Amino acid sequence: MSNSSSPALRVVNLAKTFGGARALKDISLEIAPGEIHGLVGENGSGKSTFVKILSGYHSPEPGGVIEVGGNELSFGKPADSHAAGLRFVHQDLGLIDDLNCAENLALGRGFDTAFGRRIRWRSEHEAARRALAALGYEIDVRRPIGRLSVSERTAIAVARAVSDHGGRTHVIVLDEPTVNLPKAEIQRLFRLLRLIRDRGVALIFISHHLEEIFELADRVTVLRDGEVVVSRSVTELNHDSLIELMLGRALRAVRSDARAAAGAPVLTASGVCGQVVQDVDLTVHAGEVVGVAGITGSGRDELARLIAGSAPFTGRVAIDGEPLRSNRPDLFIRAGVVGVPAERTVNAALPDHSVRENLTISHLAPYSSFGLLRRSAERTDVRTLLEKFDIRPARPEQPIDSLSGGNQQKVMIARAMRLGPKVLVLDEPTQGVDVGAQAELHRLVRASVENGLGVLACSSSSEELSEIADRVLIMRSGRVVDELTAPLVADDISAATLAKQKETT
Amino acid sequence: MSTTDTAATSEATRVTGRDSAGPTKRSGRIIPRLGLDRFSGLYVLAALIIAYGIWLPDTFLTSQTARSVADGQAIAAIVALALVVPLAAGVFDLSVAATLGFSVCLVAWLQGHHVNAILSVLTAVAAGIVIGAVNSLVIIVLRVNSFIGTLGMGSLLAAGSYWITDGQTLIKGFSPDLLKAGRAQPAGIPVTVWYLVGIALVLWFVLEYTPVGRYFYAVGANPQASRLAGLRVDRLVARSLILAGFLSALGGAILAAKLGLGSPDVGPPYLLPAFSAAFLGATQIKSGRVNVLGTLVAVYLLGVGVKGLQLAGAPSYVGDLFNGAALIIAVALAARTSRK
Repeated sequence: MSNSSSPALRVVNLAKTFGGARALKDISLEIAPGEIHGLVGENGSGKSTFVKILSGYHSPEPGGVIEVGGNELSFGKPADSHAAGLRFVHQDLGLIDDLNCAENLALGRGFDTAFGRRIRWRSEHEAARRALAALGYEIDVRRPIGRLSVSERTAIAVARAVSDHGGRTHVIVLDEPTVNLPKAEIQRLFRLLRLIRDRGVALIFISHHLEEIFELADRVTVLRDGEVVVSRSVTELNHDSLIELMLGRALRAVRSDARAAAGAPVLTASGVCGQVVQDVDLTVHAGEVVGVAGITGSGRDELARLIAGSAPFTGRVAIDGEPLRSNRPDLFIRAGVVGVPAERTVNAALPDHSVRENLTISHLAPYSSFGLLRRSAERTDVRTLLEKFDIRPARPEQPIDSLSGGNQQKVMIARAMRLGPKVLVLDEPTQGVDVGAQAELHRLVRASVENGLGVLACSSSSEELSEIADRVLIMRSGRVVDELTAPLVADDISAATLAKQKETT
Repeated sequence: MSTTDTAATSEATRVTGRDSAGPTKRSGRIIPRLGLDRFSGLYVLAALIIAYGIWLPDTFLTSQTARSVADGQAIAAIVALALVVPLAAGVFDLSVAATLGFSVCLVAWLQGHHVNAILSVLTAVAAGIVIGAVNSLVIIVLRVNSFIGTLGMGSLLAAGSYWITDGQTLIKGFSPDLLKAGRAQPAGIPVTVWYLVGIALVLWFVLEYTPVGRYFYAVGANPQASRLAGLRVDRLVARSLILAGFLSALGGAILAAKLGLGSPDVGPPYLLPAFSAAFLGATQIKSGRVNVLGTLVAVYLLGVGVKGLQLAGAPSYVGDLFNGAALIIAVALAARTSRK
């Protein structure tokens, strides 16, 4: 049975391999009750695998042990994790927007019912109101969650995690809870989290914002390449030493010597604002690749959508001096700005269509005479593209879904390149693509750049940016805060995206 | 402008069980091995004709029966083809049969008021275009789910048909020219079949051999990807609905000319067979997509199946039975093939 002297969470020799790749190597960790424990690491360091094992989504390899409040946890079942006292507040919060606060709090636990399974609404509402008031929030518990602010929703998700139904809450894992919060609200959340800590609950706090770790956490664990690099009190560390631990080597001085532009400016953006993106100015020249780096929530991905014309913006985006209308990908494409969106299956691939149809869909005019499509001309063109972009198998009628991820992505890039763009806007160009195909895609992009193409490449992979970009814009909190120029080093890019807010403005 | 209603535009594909977002899983291919491939409808059709021919040699194997099936199914086929267009673009149109019925009543009413035949037909067809335009307005601008929007439109048109006809069967004043245009038998084949052949040919060309046809299918497969690839998704969806309204109303004008009457009861029974044929057609010829040739095969497969049973003395409700079962089986088959 649990007793007060045992740690809230004890992890011994946790390991996990995915298809030959070690995601976690012998992770051992101990967290005391009433401790806020920061968990940091680069993308791919193993944080999310670790969290998924805790939540029962993945099973670890034999030999690993997890104890929650002194009791050993059986693996691979989310219900067991819950019963053991582990709670999770995911980035998307896991709330249902159409339901109100009381209903969301009752999800998974069930309602308080009276005779005939009638829900006791009055007592439900009162209980919800009291639970939130205890955390310092006054929320109308009858309003649908979707109408509340992000910070109120976060509080509700935390309140649900704290509630003791189905066993005592020992540990709450918060996965980047501050990503969508405005600055003032972050402080409010921190007060809430300290309150919960003081009740003796342990918190695992995951954030890419290292200043938040230093402000909130008592101890911090750094993961790198699936291993625990260090696990110690935050007072023994400072910002730079923590970054060094995350990257595994010393931080270099950030260069900012401007490099002569490759060609004439083609695309200029000024004062561009979207939902996260604030007041961004940038220029893409002919014959250069401008990389954009930033952590999740920095606006990096939104910038790609704005500059590709697929999301509404205010401000000015112009190609060769001609301004373009926001949220009109068709007009952007006609003007020569072509986007290759992230998440291919959702945003780019036409399922149940052939490779040929996927390649040519953006522009069928060359094959149509008197309103009819000449399939022979299309096929000839498609064969040329398949060869040029080395798409395998090189069969035009093959369904797109039967190609490998890398080859599908090549089809999407070939679709864009076929239009002879002046500027290519890439968002996560090698997402879900194996290493060999990645290198090939980079080579293809670079080859076109030699011929005068301008590229804006937004990527969460610093390695990728260091390989393809001539210079890299660093985004934080919706703004471009820094620019790195050649020679680009992946670690520098990562470090710059994580650097403290105050250093650069 | 390009406010893509992805929810509305992807729902038709969802009904056929095709998941446009997720990766397709590959497992055992049992169905193709059973011979249920893209030409299976033709085999079944041939088998049905042979079976009925042996079973009912005197009544089934006659030119009279052939003519009656061809004629009887021609209008149903036109409605089904009208439906194929919005389904290809990923939206439902549940108002096709009501548009047909409204068009029949309108032509009959105009004939009763001594409007000349050509003008009557043109008015009815124009009404169909307006109906399609209103449908697209409701779906794209008001963002009403296409299933709901066109269901409502169907009811509005039913009311309109009653209003025009006052609930009566209008038979007065049909011009002989119009009746001739609906009842002639050039080369011994009912003229409605000729109309069907003409419409099917044009539509087949549009969907298979023109850019707009390709765009319709792209939008139906993944509206979000289509928009990002530079297609004007809203405009394409609107065009598909307008084309559906046009074809349904044209079918209505042909039906009015054939029947020589107009009544609010004429249109509604065409809805379910149209859906059965379109979805069953999606398993044929170009498997996985609604298409013109597959739909024609399906319409006549269903028509022959019902006709033979009727000749064998089956009760009148066998038609409903056949079409309902075909719709469910067709969608189940489509879901099955997409999971291949």
